[in-house]
Amino acid sequence: MPERIVLVGFGPVGARFAEELLPAVSSGLVSLTVVGAEPDHAYNRVLLADYAVGSAGRDALEMTDTSALDGAGVRILTGTSVVTLNRTTNTVTLDSGERVPYDRLVLATGARANIPTLDGVTRLRRDRMRPPDAANGLDTADARLPIGITALRDLDDARRVLDAIQAGRRIIVLGAGVLGMELALAAAHAGAETAVVYHSESPMDRNLDVGGGAMLARAARHAGVTMINHSRAESVVCHVDEHGDSRFDAIICADGKQIDGDLLVLSCGVGARVELAYLAGLDVAGGVLVDDQLRTWADDDIYAIGDCAHVATRSADGSLPDGGPTGLIGPGWRQADWLAARFVADFTAGHSIDAPGFVDRGAGVVMLKAEGVDVVAAGAVKRDIWEIDLDEGRDHASGCEVAAVQVAQWADPEHGRYVKMVSRAGILEGFVSVGMPRTAAELTLLFERRSELPADRSVLLRFDGPDYVPSAARDAFALDATVCWCNGVTVGEIAGSAAEGNTTIECISSATRAGTGCGGCKGRIADVLDFFARAEPETEPQEA
Amino acid sequence: MTEGTVGAAAPHCPYCALQCAMTVTPVATSARVRNAAVEIAGRDFPTNRGGLCKKGWTAAELIASPERIVEPMIREESGDYRAADWDEALDLVAGRLRSLRSEYGADSVGVFGGGGLTNEKAYQLGKFTRVTLGSSRIDYNGRFCMASAAAAGNRAFGIDRGLPFPVEALDDARTVMLLGSNVAETMPPFIGHLETARAAGGLIVVDPRRSSTAQLTADGAGLHVQPTPGSDLPLLLGLIHIVIAEELVDRDYIAARTTGFDDLRRSVSRWWPERVQERTGVPAWQLRELARRLASEGGTYILTGRGVEQHVDGTDTATAAINLALVLGLVGSTHSGYGTLTGQGNGQGGREHGQKADQLPGYRKITDPVAREHVAGVWGVPPGSLPGEGLPAVQLLTTLGQQGGVRALLVHGSNVVVSAPDADVVRRGLEALDFLVVCDFFFSETARYADVVLPVTQWAEEEGTMTSLEGRVIRRRKAVDPPPGVRSELWIFAELARRLESPSTFRIDASEVFDELCRASEGGIADYSGLSHALLDTGIAAHWPYPVGSSGTPRLFLDRFGHADGRARIVAVTARADDAPAHVDGVLTLITGRLLEHYQSGAQTRRVPELLAAQPRARAQLHPATAGQLGIADGDRIEVSNERGLVRCLAELTPGIRLDTVFLPFHFADDQSANLLTDHSTDPISGMPEFKRTIVRVRALSEEVVHA
Repeated sequence: MPERIVLVGFGPVGARFAEELLPAVSSGLVSLTVVGAEPDHAYNRVLLADYAVGSAGRDALEMTDTSALDGAGVRILTGTSVVTLNRTTNTVTLDSGERVPYDRLVLATGARANIPTLDGVTRLRRDRMRPPDAANGLDTADARLPIGITALRDLDDARRVLDAIQAGRRIIVLGAGVLGMELALAAAHAGAETAVVYHSESPMDRNLDVGGGAMLARAARHAGVTMINHSRAESVVCHVDEHGDSRFDAIICADGKQIDGDLLVLSCGVGARVELAYLAGLDVAGGVLVDDQLRTWADDDIYAIGDCAHVATRSADGSLPDGGPTGLIGPGWRQADWLAARFVADFTAGHSIDAPGFVDRGAGVVMLKAEGVDVVAAGAVKRDIWEIDLDEGRDHASGCEVAAVQVAQWADPEHGRYVKMVSRAGILEGFVSVGMPRTAAELTLLFERRSELPADRSVLLRFDGPDYVPSAARDAFALDATVCWCNGVTVGEIAGSAAEGNTTIECISSATRAGTGCGGCKGRIADVLDFFARAEPETEPQEA
Repeated sequence: MTEGTVGAAAPHCPYCALQCAMTVTPVATSARVRNAAVEIAGRDFPTNRGGLCKKGWTAAELIASPERIVEPMIREESGDYRAADWDEALDLVAGRLRSLRSEYGADSVGVFGGGGLTNEKAYQLGKFTRVTLGSSRIDYNGRFCMASAAAAGNRAFGIDRGLPFPVEALDDARTVMLLGSNVAETMPPFIGHLETARAAGGLIVVDPRRSSTAQLTADGAGLHVQPTPGSDLPLLLGLIHIVIAEELVDRDYIAARTTGFDDLRRSVSRWWPERVQERTGVPAWQLRELARRLASEGGTYILTGRGVEQHVDGTDTATAAINLALVLGLVGSTHSGYGTLTGQGNGQGGREHGQKADQLPGYRKITDPVAREHVAGVWGVPPGSLPGEGLPAVQLLTTLGQQGGVRALLVHGSNVVVSAPDADVVRRGLEALDFLVVCDFFFSETARYADVVLPVTQWAEEEGTMTSLEGRVIRRRKAVDPPPGVRSELWIFAELARRLESPSTFRIDASEVFDELCRASEGGIADYSGLSHALLDTGIAAHWPYPVGSSGTPRLFLDRFGHADGRARIVAVTARADDAPAHVDGVLTLITGRLLEHYQSGAQTRRVPELLAAQPRARAQLHPATAGQLGIADGDRIEVSNERGLVRCLAELTPGIRLDTVFLPFHFADDQSANLLTDHSTDPISGMPEFKRTIVRVRALSEEVVHA
């Protein structure tokens, strides 16, 4: 009898989980039912902004071989929602009324866009108290947004943005988080008149420090995006069109400013879809609370992964932890891989095995996806360079000496370059990099691996400098510079041979073998001979 | 030593797969080349155009080396070797093999071959093992070399010919991407074929190190891409992602000539540029620039080398490179392509004619009943008498001296003590053997473990054929007589076969062996049946397949691929999780590779004084910032270690290596042997070991240790 697994959610994380489980399904170890609310098969949500501005086709978003899942016997229900978890009977009830039994239930319900409080927009979105009913109302409930206002979370949203961009409409992005900035930069790149409206001082406020944010704002302006900060949107202005529909015209900010546009894209963060779990009595904080086995705190048969899962240690006093899902795809995929592998191990062994918990060292790196604007950040970056670390040297309970937090920084606003490294004992705790792509890539690896920074931090900056290429900057006539690769002949050997009277390329080749391989260095040999021939007479007369 | 008397001859270099053409003239002495019995000059040929590298120029010194073994040597109880005559040595070998076989079964005798052996020797080695010894336990050092690219090529194209186009084709290309290949040091004359690409700013080198080849991209000649070790596969998946996302693919080509594109498209959706940057350390803009360059006009070649192939996911990495070439429509065109740069002199022919564990001559599968019947017919034995599939090299070596494993081993053209991964395990395996026979010119590190060492002929002393990196069959010609006590392996196989009452005939004359090889290969993938030594001596450019009536195939795949439906297979592959450790306290990722002056295990080049003087000992390359943190200065003695072993060497500081990486050349022996550190885990498809991503700890050697 195969283990019955029901997966709720068929987004990129759910799909990854299903794929990883595929061999076990094929071998009969597992029977898998996948319930997805969207009408489409899983697609790559990360590329949604690219699709929305027309830089990626619908094809490019496909990521799952659904025919392979079908072929292996996975039951895939799209356009279907789960309306109840019945923990006493280990079943889920679908919106069709069907009850599907499970041995293990995996929640990968993801997150929905937050709808901010705006006068003129009905904010009746699904919340944790309202049970889901129909799949197509999972997020909107009965409150549709006015025409010209959208989130950017699914394919329908993306098509709305695409239509507007293709029609040459003005785009307003509300919110300057990483997703909002990605969309704004991509829309501007696609030629759309684009503005970002946000209430903080600088964009990506959650991820960047003041310097990084300022640099990003400059880069975005340079890319043609109108950046409107310190602006809290309070209401929207709409008109009623000839069909009697309400259409977006402008937003009004708290300071009375009115910003006109044709399409308002709400990019105000996301919230985990937790209502199923909450109504079933499972613990919920920033998401469905799961332990390091990705198992819900209250029910050993129910697991959660991806944007709906909040991984946290169960507290003794029943208090709820801070934090929540990262909203990044990488951790979600690693959870999917880990959980599928763990399930297979359990089922193969015939019982639940003691597995080391899920540890995600890669969490926390945020990379802005935008061509030509390079922003990467991770970890804690807010600390100021001159701020004194009060914890320095203090003995903690462990008795360990605590190294001080150190900040190293490089800023060159004129050229759009900025790097900040926050470290403790040489290990990064956070970093920001703007406009220095190679440095950013190295810092990412150093951060994720918890590797030691070079003592001279500026080594990392030079990766993006013109002097990075060691050979290019080298003196071409340095005595140890190689001229003939085939035979490993240096400038010095050629010069020496020339001093012995070998002053033509042929003589040099015969005496040193330089130029007798591929022959590509013959021009260089001539240059070297020329250089030393010219150098000789100059040295002596100057004495006089 | 010998007085050469054969006269000027036109062979090819003994070393790498470029097989540079030479003229070899016997002389008594030479002012420039000490102790040489012959004088060498470059000869015009498409691969080298008359040029030679330092190794080629000095190859003559091997012939007359004072270290040459010139008589069979038998180890005595004391451990010392004494000279013996051939009858005594061969009687001993035959007797021991016969008794071990009768006691432990045919598979207790193993054979280990090499990619430097001529086609004739490689063929005869496979036949000798299967027919005379009746053993399935044969494999060769090409498993450490070409196995991943070969497996990927066979899977994708149905045929594995390293370069399915002539080397000269590269001369016309504006873009050439080298992945994990340092041709400027491994086959220097090759770089002459990159001039057009360099002039067009299109030489792309992917290497964690700013190698000599990577330096050729400087000054606008191209792009050096420096990923963290072990991240080549995500890098390639990311390039495919960009090529698809930006509609740079050749849709018509994909529809007409391939299968599997949709799987690939879905599988790379998750490798967008920023995510690839996160995994590889290569900036997203560079990935985009690279993808666009590859898709540009003017001819594009994608070439892989051991740097990306010598991994536990080497086959999948080579497959990803092939997939990239396929979606761009490069493969099987008249102006572009994909290829793998074969390393050893006969690395191509050596993987075609039966010294691989799963293979019969002509690149046939030993498990294929039709292939068995054909080859058994040529050999005059019943098909059922041929053993089945054996064990790939690393697995074969781990059975040495073990219960049910190999008790006696014959080694030909290989120095496993230096070249195989996890060298300490190999050393212990050789010690545990009941009987070891090594055929070599020198007392290599492996020969030092042998019970019997048989001296064999070298390149300029023998006739035969080699198949170069472009799949061209070329003649190796005798220029000088070998020393009197030295014999060809072909003679040794025949003598042993006679003593062991082999059911088949073993010819001694290389041209006759070649004729038999050609018949055995007839109808196979690597079909040589239209060739003979006499025909090759006319100077034809014989790129295989060369069936009877053919005039050769310089460019493969122009009309169809090797699979029955004529289409190439796009096989979607996935990248493993990144499990690189924290690089703290001297923990670094070790990569290995070659130096200009040395070849493979160094058994030959360390015996050429000029080459040894230039590179006398192992130097580990470190970034100055990394070294500074460890208190290491340039030239300091250091220790590189992990749970498998410990290497002592010198530090060489260069900003051209990544901060997280240390490079060691693998040419050196004893406690300088890089393979003391490498792991014996292998690629599940190709059997290739993980040579290029070893976790080690580097530290300065304290003075006490130095003087201890």
